[in-house]
Amino acid sequence: MPKLTIDGRTVEVAAGTNLIEAARTAGIEIPYFCYHPYLRVVGQCRICMVEIEGQPRLAVACATPAAEGMVVRSESSERAKEAREAVMEFLLANHPLDCPVCDQAGECLLQDHSMEEQRATFTTGMSETRRTFPGYERRLIGPHVIQNQNRCIHCSRCIRFTQEISETSALTYKSRGNSTFIDTFDGKPFQDPMSACAADVCPVGALTVREFRFRKRAWKLKSTPSVCPGCSIGCNIFVQHHERVVYRFSPRENSAINATWLCDHGRFLAESLNQQTYLSPQRRVAGQPASASWAEALRALADELRGTRSLRVVASANLSNEELYLARELFGRHLKGEIVVPVFPGEPRRMKNGKGEWRTSTDAHPNSLGARRLGLATVDGEGLARLLGRAADLTVILDPAAHPYLAGDEALQLLRAGTLIAFARSQHPVADVARWLLPTPSLASNEGTFTSSPGVVQRFAPAFAQPGAVHRTATGAMSPACPTIASPWGPPGEARALWIVLTALARELGVATLDLASPADVFALMVRTEESFAGLEWEALGGRGQQESYRERQHVG
Amino acid sequence: MEAVLLRARGLPESRTIATYLAAGGYEGLKKALTMAPDAVTKEVLDSELRGRGGAGFPTGRKWSFVPKDHPGPRYLICNADESEPGTFKDREIIEHDPHQVVEGTAIASYAIRANTAYIYIRGEFVRWTRILEEAIEEARKGGFLGKNILGSGFDLDVWVHRGAGAYICGEETALLESLEGKRGFPRLKPPFPAVVGAFGKPTVVNNVETLACVPHIMTRGAPWFASIGRPRNTGPKLFCVSGHVNRPGVYELPLGVTFREIIEEHAGGIRGGRKLKAYFPGGTSAPIMTAAEVDVQADFDACAQAGTMLGSGGIIVLDETVDMVEVCANVAHFYAHESCGQCTPCREGADWCMDILDRMVEGHGRPADPETLLRICRFSSNGMTICPLGDAYALPISSIVNKFREEFDRRIETGSPLPQKKLPVLPWTGPRPGFGV
Repeated sequence: MPKLTIDGRTVEVAAGTNLIEAARTAGIEIPYFCYHPYLRVVGQCRICMVEIEGQPRLAVACATPAAEGMVVRSESSERAKEAREAVMEFLLANHPLDCPVCDQAGECLLQDHSMEEQRATFTTGMSETRRTFPGYERRLIGPHVIQNQNRCIHCSRCIRFTQEISETSALTYKSRGNSTFIDTFDGKPFQDPMSACAADVCPVGALTVREFRFRKRAWKLKSTPSVCPGCSIGCNIFVQHHERVVYRFSPRENSAINATWLCDHGRFLAESLNQQTYLSPQRRVAGQPASASWAEALRALADELRGTRSLRVVASANLSNEELYLARELFGRHLKGEIVVPVFPGEPRRMKNGKGEWRTSTDAHPNSLGARRLGLATVDGEGLARLLGRAADLTVILDPAAHPYLAGDEALQLLRAGTLIAFARSQHPVADVARWLLPTPSLASNEGTFTSSPGVVQRFAPAFAQPGAVHRTATGAMSPACPTIASPWGPPGEARALWIVLTALARELGVATLDLASPADVFALMVRTEESFAGLEWEALGGRGQQESYRERQHVG
Repeated sequence: MEAVLLRARGLPESRTIATYLAAGGYEGLKKALTMAPDAVTKEVLDSELRGRGGAGFPTGRKWSFVPKDHPGPRYLICNADESEPGTFKDREIIEHDPHQVVEGTAIASYAIRANTAYIYIRGEFVRWTRILEEAIEEARKGGFLGKNILGSGFDLDVWVHRGAGAYICGEETALLESLEGKRGFPRLKPPFPAVVGAFGKPTVVNNVETLACVPHIMTRGAPWFASIGRPRNTGPKLFCVSGHVNRPGVYELPLGVTFREIIEEHAGGIRGGRKLKAYFPGGTSAPIMTAAEVDVQADFDACAQAGTMLGSGGIIVLDETVDMVEVCANVAHFYAHESCGQCTPCREGADWCMDILDRMVEGHGRPADPETLLRICRFSSNGMTICPLGDAYALPISSIVNKFREEFDRRIETGSPLPQKKLPVLPWTGPRPGFGV
């Protein structure tokens, strides 16, 4: 454990820690562009120059391991500051400085450092013709990534990402010297299951994500820690949103699961969180929807549940542990209903953790392990068909997306036979056969935990309370519904998270033990009663990064 | 001085192993194989041989950095990627006496216990690749390479690897990357190649001329070698003289002769009776020297003391008709073209310098330009870059600006070249160089 002094502050760090990380421990930011904690150190950008006592030359902090008794000067060294200023000048000499029209603005390391490093009289002094790459200013290099080579600062992060993390080696340098540019290998499309991460690691606006470009300025976004619902790996994400609209998922650092990466499949689920077809409880009379209040709906539901002789519940591996627990206790234990969790295999997904190990999943659900650990019976499509084939008075579908079988004609025919209560968010055929349709919000407005496939219980936080309808243009892009009101969001709806409805139902039905006020309370009950949750603490869940601010994340991604 | 490295120059069939053996060739290898590897290293260390590639690092010390207890393979690499402007000594050695290089490679490989050696040769050197391959084949047939060399139990395979034509691949770590089949980007150091080199194994990279000295050290002993030149700057050195001299060419002289002697006596003085204006002492990467500094001794320490470096020994002589702004622009063009583009100061700076100097040459210089050039150079050198190419472009440019500042100011003011530029260009009167394949 070497102890060293940086700008007069003494810190003790683990052996092998480089000076950038050591300085961060001491609360000192050393600027960098090419350094990335999960990529190979190359020392290319030369901005992280520091002065080390006893060494005649400046050293790059990224490639210098902390040593016992080392005395480092970063901000306090005139020489280091002068060198950094020179590097900034070199970088800005050929950078277009088009921040007002660059989508990276606000989360651009070059922009940040130019504000930090520049002095009042700072100018690039470069009066020659700027370097440009004709034909490479706005180029779609793959399905998700747009390249603007003029903005590139040649940090090689994207190249190292494809070499070391996604292992496709899809990006490469071409040409030499000042003409060096980034291109896809052999000019093929940038087909990489994690392609958007290359844009994530890009410190400037040279690579941007097509789906997010120009939809929202980065500084308007709020970030809520969450867990990716795309598969059972459970990558840590930030849901980034503004005024009840989700704009994107960004990876949230968790060395044990996804380091700072996110696959394209998971990342682009963000858009689907805005689908909120059903905004208020509906009673269906002869197929015609009629709006109802939650109070009416809850009363009616309680009556239906009390009066039923045979109850079956289709839960889902997309629900949180808390919701599954409440469903099991309420519908299973108290109402003696039959409860199943349908599962189906998904596309194979994989993710690399901070140690460089791949983790794979062929499970399309974020929480099937949680369902199993709660002792719920998981069934495949055939099992679900058998369940629905048996006659029952009342069927409750907690999530129509639980299995594609539910959208088939056969299932709908079977469901017509009895009374159906369905919870749904976006357009689904079961809505047409349900007697009661209750709106649930997306992950962004829910709170709870998932048990991810490595066996880790991870918490996701609510981004906003009341999702509304999001208006769209014919192309699917979000845009103002009305040109005079520049807002893509509609009025707040009345969708309620399932845990709220289930605890309210418990109250209606007089089950006092389940009449709880928050997912945290449900979790506390589970910790007391469920063996697989014993010893866990709500506040401590979520892995490293749960509490990290958006600003800190920028230095990782 | 008797010719050592160039002793075969002019002999008929000088390249063949028969000629080489007749002159006592491979005796050094025979002797080395009877000694312990460390004793060979000790002998080279005692000879005070310093690397001839440019940096002048003691060769024996470089060999001794290879970890003794490393279990896996280790490699010796002969750097024949000779691309420094004004340097053509390695080519001359290979042209006339390739077996010296092969023998030196074998001895060095034995000293560091490497069983594989590569000769990384400049891509444009097609002819010399063939010469080396023929020499290696002859040596293999003669039992000087391959399995169980001369019954000693030592195995060595030597391969010639052609580069793809980048100046930067002469830098040892870029060379290693290129050898591994990657883009020729210099590596961040440490770790140094002696610890983590080619394919991640301990590796020694030595220049052709350095390795060519080794057989002579083995046969004639370290004291003999150390007696040539002056202390800490020992042995014969090949000087490549080019530019405005009467007899350009490669001259083998002991280290420590003055540049005046090289230019005036050996190279026959300045052509057309004109005056010396300046010279690059060791390729264009070395800071320029003026006519007043011609009495500096041509060795590593004296050059360092004079604020320049011996580099590769490529002396480029410039006479009074030369316009230094144009020289500077020429130098900048080379380095802007050869910068690998990896790290910021060199990638951006070399090109920026070139643009400024081009503009000056076109007559559009601005008063602030010399200071801008000096500032760019200052922040591209002295550890600001990953490899020495930053220094290689920044030091000559800043030395030209500093030493010939009035020419820059004049060019900026008048926008036109020096009046001496109008002197006629002298026709070439010497022998036409030919390869006589």
